Amino acid sequence: MSEQPHRWTMIIDLDRCTGCQACVVACHAENNVPVAGEDEVRLGRAMHWLRIERYWEGEYPNLKARFVPMMCQQCENAPCEPVCPVFATYHSEVENVNIQVYNRCIGTRYCANNCPYIARIFNWFDPEFPEPLNEQLNPDISVRRRGIMEKCTFCIQRIRRAEETAEAEQREVRDGEVTPACAQSCPTDAFVFGDLNDPESRVAKLARSRRRFRLLEELGTEPAVIYLKGGDAYVG
Amino acid sequence: MSVKATTTPVLVVQEDPREEHLLLDPRPTKELNGMILEAMQRTGKGFWLAVIILGALILVGLVGAWGYQILTGMGVAGIRRPVYWGVYIANFVFWIGISHSGTFVSAILRVFKAEFRRPITRGSEMMTSFALIVAGMYPLIHLGRTWRFYWMVPYPNQRHLWPNFHSPLMWDMMAIFTYLIGSTLYLYLPLIPDLAMARDNTTGWRQKLYRILALGWRGTEAEWHHLKTAINIFAFAIIPVMFSVHTIVSWDFGMTMKTGWHSSIFGPYFVVGAIFSGVSAVATVLLIVRRTMKLDYFLRPEHFDAIGKLVLVFSFAWTYFFFADYLTEWYGGEAVGKELLTLQAHGPVAPLWYAMLITNIVIPWLTLWNRKVRRSFWGLLLVTLGVNVGMYIERYIIVTGFLTRNRLPFDWGAYNPTWVELLISIGSLSTFIFLYAVVSRLIPLVPIWEVREGQIAHTLRRVGRALVPSVAELE
Amino acid sequence: MSDTVLLALFDDVEPVADTLDSLRREGISENDMVVVSGVPYPARVLGRPMVWERLPLIAISGAFVGFLVGVFLNAGTPLLYPVHVGGQPLIPLPPSLVITYEFTMMGLIVSTFLGVLWESTFPSYGPKYYERRISSEGDIGILFRCPQERVAEFETLMRENGAEDVVEPEAKTL
Repeated sequence: MSEQPHRWTMIIDLDRCTGCQACVVACHAENNVPVAGEDEVRLGRAMHWLRIERYWEGEYPNLKARFVPMMCQQCENAPCEPVCPVFATYHSEVENVNIQVYNRCIGTRYCANNCPYIARIFNWFDPEFPEPLNEQLNPDISVRRRGIMEKCTFCIQRIRRAEETAEAEQREVRDGEVTPACAQSCPTDAFVFGDLNDPESRVAKLARSRRRFRLLEELGTEPAVIYLKGGDAYVG
Repeated sequence: MSVKATTTPVLVVQEDPREEHLLLDPRPTKELNGMILEAMQRTGKGFWLAVIILGALILVGLVGAWGYQILTGMGVAGIRRPVYWGVYIANFVFWIGISHSGTFVSAILRVFKAEFRRPITRGSEMMTSFALIVAGMYPLIHLGRTWRFYWMVPYPNQRHLWPNFHSPLMWDMMAIFTYLIGSTLYLYLPLIPDLAMARDNTTGWRQKLYRILALGWRGTEAEWHHLKTAINIFAFAIIPVMFSVHTIVSWDFGMTMKTGWHSSIFGPYFVVGAIFSGVSAVATVLLIVRRTMKLDYFLRPEHFDAIGKLVLVFSFAWTYFFFADYLTEWYGGEAVGKELLTLQAHGPVAPLWYAMLITNIVIPWLTLWNRKVRRSFWGLLLVTLGVNVGMYIERYIIVTGFLTRNRLPFDWGAYNPTWVELLISIGSLSTFIFLYAVVSRLIPLVPIWEVREGQIAHTLRRVGRALVPSVAELE
Repeated sequence: MSDTVLLALFDDVEPVADTLDSLRREGISENDMVVVSGVPYPARVLGRPMVWERLPLIAISGAFVGFLVGVFLNAGTPLLYPVHVGGQPLIPLPPSLVITYEFTMMGLIVSTFLGVLWESTFPSYGPKYYERRISSEGDIGILFRCPQERVAEFETLMRENGAEDVVEPEAKTL
């Protein structure tokens, strides 16, 4: 679908990821994602839009840890979209990402079941932002009530702001002008974000890497998150 | 070729066919009416006690627990990532399955003119309507924002947004709605002449009620003609609707990309499972009705014998589909599929899975071939109750078990229902029993006119040395 | 009108069919007599002419309306507010068939029911000639209209034909 204006894409270099979780924290802060608390996390109800999946390889003491940052893959053919009865999630024609409209969601959780990446997050309870977290809520983003599905948006508010600025200045959005919170906070620069439709962008160049792969590519969901294979990066 | 018989000849003692067959044992209309009207008014202490207890359970489950869940959030249920659907959806599929009883027994047996259906049609049609009401509550209970359920209704609204007809949930809603309307009207139409009978033979508030419900029925030729035509159209129309309903319920799973769910056999597999559990539930309910409402004249061993055979046949059919699904998963060898099979064979759900195999296959196959079991109260009651336990387990495993295993092993999980889910489930079961108990005291549970029609059509005919029942094609 | 309505009650269907013949011979027209029973007897059992039944036509019309509603929901509403999902076409054919089918069946079912009400003019609680013995004792009644002066004659005829009872029914509200 190259005729579309943008194809926002995330490149994640697994060779660079140290599993430090800075991106997870940044994501919580940017997107008003509440903290679930110890008990809920133990049940499997962590609210991270972005999580670091850690896989162990080998036997002790020759143990390797591999980290895969996982979030909504912004599929071109997203399985979550057609199953929603109320169009709460749909494919944006302009940004070419998978949009979640919180106010339309009635909480059937069908989308979450149909996501092969299990990337969707449900508000099991009303969110709480204890002092002083309430002081840093992002005004660009709504706070979601209980019973609503949410997920990584590629920091759509930042994409929109860049688009509006560019339009006001009557120019195209420049490469590197949009940086999602995770990419901004990554100390090793493992995340690169940009427009795949611009052949000169950093993501377009990195996407031509021989190390590239996409998760569960055989399903045909056409994810917009491209991983670069990790070689021997390990901790332990 | 010898003419000698190779087996020892057995002298067959002929039973009196009148004792065996309701339709060969006609009684005066007055007596038939009397029996059914008396059964309707049979409300002893036990009945009221049961009604009060059921009412209390409904309040606790559907007002208390559900209210608590709405006010607090879905988190009070046991669902969690990645098991986003839990007991509520399993209950939903289960009750939709039960709702297939009435239509199957009533419509299919009517279309094929199976005469044993006559006294049992109404009792099973009532199950269809009430099971659908209970099933219909579950998608609402299950919604994260129940108070916004009407956003799924297609009407021109202020937001100018129509629902998404790509979604299997929309198909589901429309199918269930069609089925609920269809089956309720199908329950009501053949009821009208019996309501008129009740109107003519009761007094007080009952008479006032039946007068309204009977719509002014007299039984003229034209009225009968229209009614019979309509019942015929309904019987033929409701069968494909019934198939579509459970097929679409299975498509809620089948349309996804989840391993274990994404299967084209799910449609017929679920339909057969639904009829299996529905017909078993008909046997369970009618056994209890017969005992508590003293309907021994109408509901005879011959009827339970016939239902028992149906249960056995559908146990065979279900096993076939179950095996076809299992074998495909086993042979395909996809990693997640293997994990699902391991989960069932020796994972956390293994005890349930083996229990299902026993109640759905082993017990029916070992018992229901036997005429004595099919005709005994406890025998048939326990077998059919067991089948429904097994069918519930099947749905529970498919919904909650399969969701715990995913393609990326980091996303595996577990699921345990909480007390909220348990109370709501008990509340909904109580709703079904409550509705059935109360309505069975309000409307004639046996279609008197259909039984009389059958008794007029049936005669005994002598063939050789035997008196055999024969049916006149009146219709 | 100097006509009177008589109701003859029988306890079997055989004499009813015979009596209908006698009535015809006495010059009572087919439209002036009607059989009322607690069990359906087809027209051929009673020896009555077959009547054209409009119900199937009503049912099919209803199904067609349902079909159109289904088509509108599938193919019309996406044009009113286009939303693209999952890389599927705006108006995909295979999934549309499901909803179209359900609405067709819904139209069929609802119109059949309404058709019964319409054809039998239900509900009608107004005064009608009726006798509760028909439902409570299983009697079969023949309601017919005859000239006032021949009432006694017809009553005798009915009894000769095996009627249990012949009454001049009052039109009662049911």
